[in-house]
Amino acid sequence: MNSARFSVALLFLVVAGCASDPAPHEQLRLSEQALVQARAVGADAEQTELALAQGKFEQVGAALAAGHHKQARMLAEQAELDARLAEAQLLTRKSNKQVSEVEQQIGVLRQQLGEL
Amino acid sequence: MKGPHAFPFGLLALALLGGCATTSPETRRTLDEAHAELLAIRTDPAVRLSAEKDLARAEESLGRAERFSSYLGSEEDVLHYAYLSRRYGQIAREHGAQRQAAERVAQLEKERDRLQLALSEARLLNAEQQGQWLEEQLLGQAATETERGLVMTLGDVLFDSGQVELRSAATRTVLQVARFLRLNQRRVVRIEGYTDTQGDDRLNLELSRGRAQSVRDMLVDLGVDGKRIQVAGYGEAYPVAENASNQGRARNRRVEIVFSDEEGKLGAGR
Repeated sequence: MNSARFSVALLFLVVAGCASDPAPHEQLRLSEQALVQARAVGADAEQTELALAQGKFEQVGAALAAGHHKQARMLAEQAELDARLAEAQLLTRKSNKQVSEVEQQIGVLRQQLGEL
Repeated sequence: MKGPHAFPFGLLALALLGGCATTSPETRRTLDEAHAELLAIRTDPAVRLSAEKDLARAEESLGRAERFSSYLGSEEDVLHYAYLSRRYGQIAREHGAQRQAAERVAQLEKERDRLQLALSEARLLNAEQQGQWLEEQLLGQAATETERGLVMTLGDVLFDSGQVELRSAATRTVLQVARFLRLNQRRVVRIEGYTDTQGDDRLNLELSRGRAQSVRDMLVDLGVDGKRIQVAGYGEAYPVAENASNQGRARNRRVEIVFSDEEGKLGAGR
């Protein structure tokens, strides 16, 4: 009898525990960090992915205030990856620019050699 | 806390019990697209080398999306994890592109430095010779007439041991050849690599060919049309000295440049 009541209580606890997503504070911190880092390498809202990240990050606050923790977590997770992609795209662009710079230098040298 | 979430989780629990697949066609399509995209990214070797972690996360997220797709009422989760998976994949692709660009830059910088050196050497040479370049100079100084034609030998000292890349000391010699070829447009050359008998036969063959190829690359860098240059690696074959002594072996490690006659007629390879 006693153990049956205990089982019911346990089941209730498990269900209740699942049902209440915790507020995603850690994820929020990660997302913010990703945004800061993307901006630090020069990403701005001109870039679709960064604009997306910003938009979602702003919606997180409203979701949290309304108690929609799961939605807040999803938004924050997506915002983090949007921001990381924005950063990565920017770094790729910079690397490619470096390639064309050295190619240009080589072109100049070739020309100078040809003129000798 | 429990209030607003109790209902959907009740549903989820039901779905868990039911365990039936109930994904809408659009969601299925999204998942399939995510799979296809990930597969494409996976085949990129640069990505595999530089973004293993993001690739693993892409996979993990997609797996999660798949698992959710078999539960009722979890459309939102499926789409969410499919989204994360695509993002991880895209990030991985960017990292791969960055790695490729970095490698390209390293390679180009090497070429640039070589050209810079060649340019300063060329200017020096120009000053010395006042623009006068005589065929006899090449013939007399560095090349000898053989039954195979005019042959110029680049010694072992122009390469580091076991390496195919030319030392900077070789720049001047190769530059002379380039200028000679520029002034003698009909002539063509064959660059032949040789090694001594020490070490593995097959590796020696590769080394000899690699060294000849380096000389060719540099000539092309210096503006000689690649079509005028043949490359051959003979490894340990055709020694010019005995391989018993250090001195003999050093003489056998060499690159020879065989020049055609003025009409562009080049003797057959060995």
